[in-house]
Amino acid sequence: MTRSGLILALVLAPCAAVGAADPVSISHEFDAAYSYVGGARTRGAGMVHGTVDEHSADVKYVLSPQITNNLLLRLGVEWQRFSFGVPDRAPVPDVLQQISAVIGVDYQIADQWLVRAEVQPGVYSDFRDVGWRDVDAPLVLGAVYLADEDLQWIFGLRVDVRSQYPVLPAVGVRWKFADQWTLNAVLPKPRLEYDVNDKVLLYCGADLEAGTYRVGEQFGRDRGEPALNGELVDFSEIRLGPGCSWKATPDVTIEVDAGYVPYRSFDFFDPTIVYRSHTAPYAQIACHARF
Amino acid sequence: MSKWTGWVAALWVVTSAMAQDPTATIKGYSDFRQIDLSRLGGGEILSARGALMKFRNGIAGQTCFAVAAPAPEVARHLQTWDPAPYADLKVYADHALHVPCDSTDFCQLDFHPNEYPIRWLLEQTAVTTPARSALNVSRAEAARLAACPQKPAGCWAQLLCDRASAFQQKGLAGVQPYEVAGDTVAPAYQLRTMLLEHIAVSREFEPLLRAMGLLGSEPVRSLVPFYYWTLFEADHHATLNLGAVYLLPAGAHYQLADVQYYVSNDYYASITLYEVWPIQVGGQAGSLVWRGDYFAAPSLAFTKGTERIAYGALMLQDIKKEIRDFREDLRKNR
Repeated sequence: MTRSGLILALVLAPCAAVGAADPVSISHEFDAAYSYVGGARTRGAGMVHGTVDEHSADVKYVLSPQITNNLLLRLGVEWQRFSFGVPDRAPVPDVLQQISAVIGVDYQIADQWLVRAEVQPGVYSDFRDVGWRDVDAPLVLGAVYLADEDLQWIFGLRVDVRSQYPVLPAVGVRWKFADQWTLNAVLPKPRLEYDVNDKVLLYCGADLEAGTYRVGEQFGRDRGEPALNGELVDFSEIRLGPGCSWKATPDVTIEVDAGYVPYRSFDFFDPTIVYRSHTAPYAQIACHARF
Repeated sequence: MSKWTGWVAALWVVTSAMAQDPTATIKGYSDFRQIDLSRLGGGEILSARGALMKFRNGIAGQTCFAVAAPAPEVARHLQTWDPAPYADLKVYADHALHVPCDSTDFCQLDFHPNEYPIRWLLEQTAVTTPARSALNVSRAEAARLAACPQKPAGCWAQLLCDRASAFQQKGLAGVQPYEVAGDTVAPAYQLRTMLLEHIAVSREFEPLLRAMGLLGSEPVRSLVPFYYWTLFEADHHATLNLGAVYLLPAGAHYQLADVQYYVSNDYYASITLYEVWPIQVGGQAGSLVWRGDYFAAPSLAFTKGTERIAYGALMLQDIKKEIRDFREDLRKNR
C-alpha cells in the first residue's frame, strides 16, 4: 500500500467501522446549480470592454460520517466554473474555475453551540497553465447558536490568504418570526422566505458569489496588459431576486430563481486594475439532496 | 393495615432508600456519568442528547434534575400536571379523560381558525380523502374525516374518543395503525423498537413497561393510568394527541411512563420515562428526577448529519423549558 493509500485507509477506517455498526450514521449532501447571467457592459482601466455574459455551474458532494455523538467528519469534492463570454482582447478572464476537496468537521461544543471548520484545498485558476501557484486552501470557520427552534445566530469567518481581504467575518441569523415567514439572513444566500405549504417555499434575497483565482502566465500579454500575467483576481458578484423552492421528495429540493446582478467585479489587486460590470439579468436552477 | 405493619413498611422504605444510592442507580442505566446533587439542587438541569438510533425514525434525550418537593408529591404532580397555563409550551388545551371515556370528555375541543397552526390542521382535515391524508389516521378514520368536513371538531372528538376507548379496553394492543400518510405505521411498534435500542433503560423500567403491556406482555389491569388528550403546537402545526401516564411505586422511589399512543401529525408516538427518588434539597425533603424522552417522527428518517444534531439539541431545550415550568407549577401549587 502506498503512503497516501495508507493515510486514506486510516482516515476512512473509522467511517467504515461506524457505517458497519450503524447504517444511518453516514449522511450525504449533494448540491448542483447552473445559472446564466445576461450580457453586461464591463469597464475598467479607463476603457469599456463590451458586454460580458456568464454561464456558471457548481457541483458539490460531501459525505459526513458521524464519529462520535458530537462529532461529524466532512469529506467531499467541489467543482465550480464561471465561463464568461468575453470580447476579443478584453482583459477579463473567460474562465474562472475551482476543483477542490472538502475536508472539515462539525462539532457540538455545548448544549446550544455547533461549530464547523472546513478547508477546501484545490486548484483555483483560469486553468490555462495549471501549476502549484494555482493551489489554494480557503478555510471557513462557523458557529451556530441555537437560541430556540425559531431563532439561530450564525457567526462565520472566511480565511483565504491569497485574497485581497484575507479574513472576512460575517454574522447571520435564521429567525422564523411568524408561522409562515422566516428571515434566513445567512451568507452567502441571505433570504426572506415564505412557506406556501409543506412542499413549496417562496423567497426573495441575494446570492453572493466570490472567489480568488490565479490567471495564466500569458493572460496579460495576450490582452495588452502584461502586468496582469499570472496575477491573482478577486471575483465577486451579487445577485438579487425572487425564487421558488420545491421539496420534490423529503430529501430532494429543487430551486429556481431569477433577478438581476447589480454588482460584478474582477479585481486584480496587485497591480490595482478593477473591471466592473453594469447590471444584467440572471436565472438559476439548483438541486439540493440530503440523504 | 395494623399500626405495627405500617411501622415495618415505613422502616423497609427507609432502609431501602439508604441501600439504594439514587445517583449510583441513575448513573448505572443512564447516559450521565457525573451527577452533582448540589448543582442540581441549585436548579441546574443535566441533559444528554441520545446517540443516533438504528431505528431511522427515532430520537432520544435524557435529563436529570432536582425538585424541592417530596418524591410522592413530585410523582403525583408529574402524573396529572396540566401544562396549558404555560404559554411557552404552546399547549392550547389539556384535559383528563374519564374511565371509560365518553364524548363529553372532548366537549372542550374547539378550533380557532384565526391562528395559523390551527388553520393548518383544519386544512389538512378538509383535504383528507378515504385513501390519502397528511394526518395520522387509519383508512376508516380517513373516510370519516372526509365525510364531515363541515364539523371538524365534532369529527375529531369522535375519532379521539374511539381511540381512547380502545386503548382503555385493550391497552397498546387496541391502538390502530396509521394507514393513509404513506407507510402503515403502528405506534406501539415504534415505541417498542425505540425502547429495545436502550437496553439499560428498558431493564431499569422493566416492571413498569411490562405492566403497561409495552414489552409484548399483557397489561396489568390494576395499574390504572391517568388518561388525557391535548391540543398543542408542534413545528407550527396544531397537533392532537392521546396519552396515558402510568405511575408505579418501586420501594422508596417511583417510576412513571407518559405514553403518547396517538398523535395526529408531525410525529408518530412518544414515551417519556421518569424515575423519582427522595433526596434532600436545601436541607428539606426533595426529589431527584431522571427523565428519558423517546420520540418517533417521520421527518427524522430524512434529518441527517449536523441537522440531526441540531434537532436533538433543540428537542432538549424544549424539554428543559417544560421541566422549568413543571417546577414552577409545583412551587406555586404547594
